[in-house]
Amino acid sequence: MTNEHNLIEQFTEQIQHCTRCGFCQAHCPVFGATGRPALNARGKMLLLKEVLAGKIELNQDLVGSLFQCTTCASCATNCPSGVDVPAIIKAARKQMVGLGTCHPAFTGMNEVLAEHDNIYAEDEPEDFDRERGKQAEVVYFMGCVGQYREEEATEAALDLLDHLEVDYTLIDEVCCSGVLEDVGFSVKPHLASANIERILATGAGTLVTGCPYCYRTFTKQEAYAPLREAGIKIVHLSQFLAGRDLGVHSQAKVTYHDPCDLGRHCGIYEEPRQTIKAVAPNFVELTNHRQDALCCGAGGGVRGAYAKNSLAMARRRLAQVENSGAEVLLTECNSCAHNLANAKLRAQKFRVMTTPQFLMELIEES
Amino acid sequence: MDIGGYNFPDELYYDPEHFWVRVEGDELVMGMDDFAQKLAGEIVYVQLPGEGKKLKKGKKLAKVESGKWLGKVLSPVDGELIAVNEDLELKPELINQDCYGAGWMYRLKADNLADLDDLLHGAAAVEPWVNEEIAKHAQEG
Repeated sequence: MTNEHNLIEQFTEQIQHCTRCGFCQAHCPVFGATGRPALNARGKMLLLKEVLAGKIELNQDLVGSLFQCTTCASCATNCPSGVDVPAIIKAARKQMVGLGTCHPAFTGMNEVLAEHDNIYAEDEPEDFDRERGKQAEVVYFMGCVGQYREEEATEAALDLLDHLEVDYTLIDEVCCSGVLEDVGFSVKPHLASANIERILATGAGTLVTGCPYCYRTFTKQEAYAPLREAGIKIVHLSQFLAGRDLGVHSQAKVTYHDPCDLGRHCGIYEEPRQTIKAVAPNFVELTNHRQDALCCGAGGGVRGAYAKNSLAMARRRLAQVENSGAEVLLTECNSCAHNLANAKLRAQKFRVMTTPQFLMELIEES
Repeated sequence: MDIGGYNFPDELYYDPEHFWVRVEGDELVMGMDDFAQKLAGEIVYVQLPGEGKKLKKGKKLAKVESGKWLGKVLSPVDGELIAVNEDLELKPELINQDCYGAGWMYRLKADNLADLDDLLHGAAAVEPWVNEEIAKHAQEG
């Protein structure tokens, strides 16, 4: 029987299936930034093989490897043996937490969400000058990064919904807490209940998320099943916008960064491109794109716990943007936008924006 | 001067949000004070806006981020940003290593140096303020 002390045993077969071929190494963003084989998927699987064989313990010594993974899933996508590394890493982290071992940043994250309603423990949310909790067809869910770190991107998304005359409302949202599942803990039931109650109270039939991770959480986590059972249609903003005639055009050379949470984790590749290409036909793909996209380095809690390496991963992605000759890098994830904009060097003259920011700028100029 | 283990050089002006200002001729240099850099932990990102940015006193000049904190740098004066410390782009930890020297952040041109009168300056003003901040954060911590 699986319990918190033997979570990785259910993956024994998969861990043994890792043939150490190294395909993952070529795609792992953590290896790309650090050059350390112990930090790529193969290295992590080797460590877990030793744990399963009883040669080493799942203890503090393994935190630096097992907790330094953006769970971007590029390894799993490229693994010829079909090893689901992100699922294994998540199980190993949960087992480590069960054994009393964790990276302090993630212990802190769990503690913050036990006491606060957002991941940054911020007390004063931006109100964005919009009504909350009213009856509407659509609820727009901003997410913690959108609300507290990339306010301009959220303002643009809301302006765009206003421009399109969407009947939407905000709610007094709290963190979806989905990220806790990645870092050794679990979704907080009280936070999930608060979101579900407030979303259902609006009578909305559609929930639009600005954050790809919130989208993943709402569509996949058991704690949010009541939303799905109530028949709420859950979409990411990029899906909601796809196919709409925005009436603006740009001649700028534009490229797009696939967020891992939207792309590899949810299979949403086409809708963002549909909107961008309709507006900016001078579109170029980055060297690594769609299923093969390079991670920005922000996921899996790595931005908080290993900020320097996270920024180094983003700089690898930005080098591809530079090589593409694009003037504008667009993405559909506030967290990616945050990390990429932070990592961009002054000598790199392209702009980093979310797609709604780009669209609203064109609309305001027209 | 040393106040409760934090270094606050006498000649500087201090913003209540914990940024210091040094007068150099008709220009100002600013950075983060010792108390703030210690409280924030390792600085991982400093926004470096373009030179020529127009500044309004009390309005956002830039953002600074550590692993656990994100702060806004407010302009202490009306004026213009004339230079940034480009070394911080790849080495933001210089703020932790030498916040009053190699970790300086921005160079400004003030429209009116009288704006500095609203900042804290001199032991009589700085010492009680820092002691109050230490006590406040000890309670919160």
